[in-house]
Amino acid sequence: MTGVLLLLCSAVFAQKTVTGKVTDSKDGTPLPAVSVRIKGRTSGTATANDGTFTITLPKGTNTLLFSSIGFADQEVDATSAVINVSMGLSASSLNEVVVVGYGTSVKREITGVVARVKGADVQNMPVPNLNQALQGRAAGVFVESQNGKVGDGIKVRIRGATSINGSNQPLYVVDGIPLAGGAVGSSTADINFNDVESFEILKDAASSAIYGSRAANGVILITTKRGRNGKTRFNVGAQYGMNEPTNRRDFLNAQEYISLLRQAGRGAAEYHMRPDGGNNANGFADLPAAYTFFNNLINTRLDRYSGFRPFRGGKDWRPAETGAALVDTDWQDAIFQDAPVSQFDISAQGGNDKTKFFIAANLNDQNGILVTNRFRRMGARINLDNQVNDWLKIGITSNLSKITRNRVPDDNAFSTPMQAVALAPITPIRDSLGLLFDRPVATYYNPLIEFESGINRTEGFRNQGSIYANINLAKGLTLHTDLGLDMIIQNETRYWGPRTLTGAAAAGGTGQSSEYWFRNTRWMTNNYLTYAGTYKSNHKYDVTAGFAFENLEERFTEAIGEDFADSYFKTVGNTVTPATAEGSFARNNLVSGFGRLNYSYAGKYLLSGSVRLDADSRFGSNSKSGVFAAGSLGWIMTEENFMKGIKFLSFLKPRISYGTTGNNSGIGFYDATTQYGPGTYGNAGGLRISRFGNDDLRWESTASLSVGLDFGLFNNRITGEIDWYEKLTTDMLLNTPTPATSGTQAVFGNIGSMTNKGVEFTLNTVNVSGKNFRWSTSFNLANNRNKLTKLDGDQQEILPADSRFANAIIVGKPLGVFWAPKFLGANPDNGDPVYVKTGGGTTRFYDEAEKMVVGDPNPDWIGGINNTVSWKGLELSVLFQGVFGNQVQDGAGGFMSAGFDWFDNQTRDQLGAWKQKGDVTMVPQARLGWLDGNADAINISSRYVYDASYVRLKNLSLAYSLPAKLMTKLGLQSARFYATAVNLLTFTDYPGWDPEVNTDYRSGNVNQGSDFYAAPQIKSVVFGLNIGF
Amino acid sequence: MKKLYFYLMAATAVLGTACEKKLNLANPDALESEVVFSTEARLKGVLVGNYAALGAAAFYGSDVIWMSELLASDGELNWVGTFNEPRQIITKGILVNNSNVFATYRDCYRVIFNSNNILANLGVVKASERAKVEGEALALRAISYFELVKLFGEKPYIAGNTTALKGVPLFVGPGPSAPQSEFYRAPRASVEAVYTQVIADLIKAEAQLPPTNGVYFTKQSAALLLSRVYLQQGRFAEARDAADRAIVAATGVNQRLVTAYAGAFNNSTNTTEDLFTIQVNLVAGTNSCFSFFSTGTYGARDGDIEVNPKHMNKYTAGDARAALFFFENGFHRVGKWRDNNRNVKVLRLAEAYLVRAECNSRLGTSVGATVADDLHRTRARAGLARIDNPTLANILAERELELAFEGQGIWDAKRLRQSVDGLAWDNNRLTFPIPLRERNINPGLEQNPGYN
Repeated sequence: MTGVLLLLCSAVFAQKTVTGKVTDSKDGTPLPAVSVRIKGRTSGTATANDGTFTITLPKGTNTLLFSSIGFADQEVDATSAVINVSMGLSASSLNEVVVVGYGTSVKREITGVVARVKGADVQNMPVPNLNQALQGRAAGVFVESQNGKVGDGIKVRIRGATSINGSNQPLYVVDGIPLAGGAVGSSTADINFNDVESFEILKDAASSAIYGSRAANGVILITTKRGRNGKTRFNVGAQYGMNEPTNRRDFLNAQEYISLLRQAGRGAAEYHMRPDGGNNANGFADLPAAYTFFNNLINTRLDRYSGFRPFRGGKDWRPAETGAALVDTDWQDAIFQDAPVSQFDISAQGGNDKTKFFIAANLNDQNGILVTNRFRRMGARINLDNQVNDWLKIGITSNLSKITRNRVPDDNAFSTPMQAVALAPITPIRDSLGLLFDRPVATYYNPLIEFESGINRTEGFRNQGSIYANINLAKGLTLHTDLGLDMIIQNETRYWGPRTLTGAAAAGGTGQSSEYWFRNTRWMTNNYLTYAGTYKSNHKYDVTAGFAFENLEERFTEAIGEDFADSYFKTVGNTVTPATAEGSFARNNLVSGFGRLNYSYAGKYLLSGSVRLDADSRFGSNSKSGVFAAGSLGWIMTEENFMKGIKFLSFLKPRISYGTTGNNSGIGFYDATTQYGPGTYGNAGGLRISRFGNDDLRWESTASLSVGLDFGLFNNRITGEIDWYEKLTTDMLLNTPTPATSGTQAVFGNIGSMTNKGVEFTLNTVNVSGKNFRWSTSFNLANNRNKLTKLDGDQQEILPADSRFANAIIVGKPLGVFWAPKFLGANPDNGDPVYVKTGGGTTRFYDEAEKMVVGDPNPDWIGGINNTVSWKGLELSVLFQGVFGNQVQDGAGGFMSAGFDWFDNQTRDQLGAWKQKGDVTMVPQARLGWLDGNADAINISSRYVYDASYVRLKNLSLAYSLPAKLMTKLGLQSARFYATAVNLLTFTDYPGWDPEVNTDYRSGNVNQGSDFYAAPQIKSVVFGLNIGF
Repeated sequence: MKKLYFYLMAATAVLGTACEKKLNLANPDALESEVVFSTEARLKGVLVGNYAALGAAAFYGSDVIWMSELLASDGELNWVGTFNEPRQIITKGILVNNSNVFATYRDCYRVIFNSNNILANLGVVKASERAKVEGEALALRAISYFELVKLFGEKPYIAGNTTALKGVPLFVGPGPSAPQSEFYRAPRASVEAVYTQVIADLIKAEAQLPPTNGVYFTKQSAALLLSRVYLQQGRFAEARDAADRAIVAATGVNQRLVTAYAGAFNNSTNTTEDLFTIQVNLVAGTNSCFSFFSTGTYGARDGDIEVNPKHMNKYTAGDARAALFFFENGFHRVGKWRDNNRNVKVLRLAEAYLVRAECNSRLGTSVGATVADDLHRTRARAGLARIDNPTLANILAERELELAFEGQGIWDAKRLRQSVDGLAWDNNRLTFPIPLRERNINPGLEQNPGYN
């Protein structure tokens, strides 16, 4: 018994108990729930409501770490028994703990380029996708939503694009598990970013090379919230608001439609009868005869499109000609819907020395701006950590979600809502029976039918999670092992009723239905040792080494059936005629080893090196595996004695990194071999060549050099980074065009090269830091110049052969530049289009025009500036985001801005078409495209290429937090009311709906900057509250 | 630490052996090419697949048919669809980047590529089957080169000077497996060389094919195709004899005209009159003539191709063929292409009778039957009176109506030296341009006159 007591006593005497209070440096108010940890240990506590804490330091420990969201972390030596800490805003992020690949680091010691966005900064933004929340917040990270369809595709580019055929999206790693991709919609939309603690964006090779063959486009590490010591805290959040389109476009009204159509009829007649004009194929006797012909044609069409004659329930169009239209439909009214959005979140966070937890649930319901378009997400998360004993810690990270998407077809489909703008304004939306008008009254298929008698719904189920164990093997030596899973199951149900285009074409004309199941499973394991320590006090090192294995399986099944016995039935199982059964199964394995060494001398000379070996089953038999390595150096100059005298300079760290990363996404799982797939003919099964292979196929390789400077001024009230980089991508996978005489039009090979060069500036300042008033600014600006340097060596260009879009691949130019004739406007003499002619001069013939670079979809500069101003409980946050120097081509211009090439309604700028000799205008004579017409004027040329630079008020948020006193009375920890607006204002010269666009049906690495009936972006205004207790 | 080292080594060793297996995964959805030509069954599978390639939308499934008819429109058809690339074809204002034109060029060569591979590996086929398989592969190659040389050849064959006129690149053996090879960047062979190859292939095919061969090429379909080729060349005696052989082979296996004209179209299975069709059903095959000629009422697009009275006025009262047209939105529509998922008619027995009649008439012979008898077969079915002493004009008029909008339009106009939409039969604008894309890759490929 005595012995036991003695043991206890000695244990007590070896420890030291410290108490203290944490306050806000702004006004001295106590800060509750600040995490207080012992450096080098995982144990710790949190401050109570009055800001006080008590902690016992075991023998050999002497340093306390204080951290709280929104405040700068502090490291304090426990030299006395009472320690009071005053915490300031985290304007200086230099001492933040930053998550890196397979570990963490402190910002000041990092020699790579890592941008950090705190989860708190994007909390409650009313956007479905975390990438949209990151837009404008980090230098060199370009985010572009393809269009305003909610929850669909988003382009993210970190320091430019490195691939033509592969993905240029970064690798997303959530709590150590790389994200799998879904088949429908954007898979990053599945994550509730209110659960996220921080986003770390790894931009250079030094920080990303440890992810090897998938890191060439950078890596975004997403770390979710975990439990903290202390009383369980609940947080409840709710928001409600509306979505709207950012812009509407002006189309002709009924009167203008008729009058410009008549003008186009006359224009066509005149053109055909011109001696140098059309071929007068209809053999008009003279100009009046031609006029009559076109006038009759137009009258017949107007009768038809108005639904008036033969009578189909429409109204006479004739009054419209004099401005007294009986019907004047703006089809945009019909396709945009009232779009409420709402979100509800609840979480609980807490724990003790042994066990900590974070559990959360959320409901998110976003109606899109387009009719029926909707995105709903519900999810639940459990993050749990348990310190089993002094050498073992285990935990689980688990997220379950269900995502329901009501989608609309791609932009090129007649059934997509936006194509309704092609319909005539004299066409009523509905007939006298309330039925939607379709052809022949509607000029084209009325897409509204698709939504009134169709279903297009995808339900996704996602299970992401991992279990881990951390084992302390010896002092400083830890083994981490985990097993992770990311599983996506998506079920797309589609139904086309008998009035829809597809439903009418189906057998029996009674409708069609399809059921599509997709499953993507990634399981993986990471196992690595970390050894960290100090040698002779000046040499600090940590070493990480391990291996990983990943297996990815993709499977889908689709069944399509036609014909229903009764209109009640809508599912594929109830169809009379099963039409299609399809499916596929594909697997990929990745076996990897990796390691990293970080070394610093005297806290000022920093060195880091990392290596990864990846072996991937998808590559050609001659090159299955590759090594990716990187090294970096940093020098904290302000630690040097000779710098100590410079008072205003609080931190200065030049750094340099160089390394190689890869991109494995350019080819599919089985693309390396020549293969024959099934090719059915009639009722017989046959074989068709499905792939021309190449045994040498390998990953694309990107070598990057990055040089930068981190600095802090005036006691780190101003901090910033300046970076310069150059990336050289080689072995680029190209689907090289081959002569069609070879049986195929393209084959894969590692043949191209590309460079990206750029600069990045980041500046964070605390402008005013008063007792009640505080103002801080965060600014970022980046420039990237992308240049293709080699195709297959012989070939200098892959030119577009498309009449609507001009994206080209040209050596010496950025990827996807627009290669098209240069359009000079209308010929003042006769209204013909005028192009620069090959060999000099001008021409009206498209084929004779010289093709040249007439635009570039890649921006020169991107940036963002966020100002946060707070006064007492009020906080105003204003984020402007901008994109500069890029162009967009409007592929639909040839339909909607084409001087009535056909009967599609036209944009109002067509009213400026050439009318008579001497008119100087950029719009050629309107000529109804009947016979020879003006096919020459509406093919893609610089006529349809526009400057698409823009500045947007990306986020505007005003919040009010109840005073601490009142909250205490109410028994609350926090209460915050806010109003947030996304995309509230857009400043641009782009004449289309929205300059942030890349039409979904053709979006790709080369096919950038294309508009084609793409929905405008979404503008949201929401009101919400967050209550903590 | 030593223990740990040992475990790590052991783990690495296990991993290493497991790796090899983990890194070689076979595609469950496709066969590797090395094994495809290893057995007779698989080679025959490739042959079946080549019919599917022939039936690709841009080839006989069935762009080449409406393209021919739009080129030949001569005011009889309107293109009113929103797609302006077919409009370029009807207005003869074809741009070199026309994607329909390129797709057809590409898909013709895909069939040729497959046939060349089959022909090079015939050794795996047992002797009793080899002649038939070879015949089919040859017929597939021939029909592809024939379409290519007609569409892309510098001038029609009858323009003469055929050894100087440029045709299309000609490949008759299997090429290197690497498609980027220089081999495939051959220059254009002469029109004469391409025709010579087509004829040689068809003669051999006709000789080796049986008269009954399911839905695949037969002796009679090869013969009728051959007669088309001779007709383009103006070699009427050879055309007549080939048509006669087609009729003999067909009737020998009880093939005959169907009773009602309307019964010869919109069929899901081949009729007794069909010598060759592209099989289209709900699951496989496409029929783009349906998409463009038919209307929304039948599940097609909006009735992109309208028929003008100029054509309808050519029918005499009571002609059953006029009744097959249907009227919608103010215009007649081609009833032959009315229904969805129906076989594409490529070669009908009726054509063989009309070719034999035409050539007998031109040559003053009566090989197989008298001109009047042959002519009366289709006229009788259409409900028209017999012409006892038919003139060549009677036969050509009959041919125009019987085969209307089945893809012979522009080829008949050219060989008969008729002007189209004010353009002479050999006008440059009635020939397709060599696709821009092909010339970008193979600058040695010369463009047709009239195009840039």
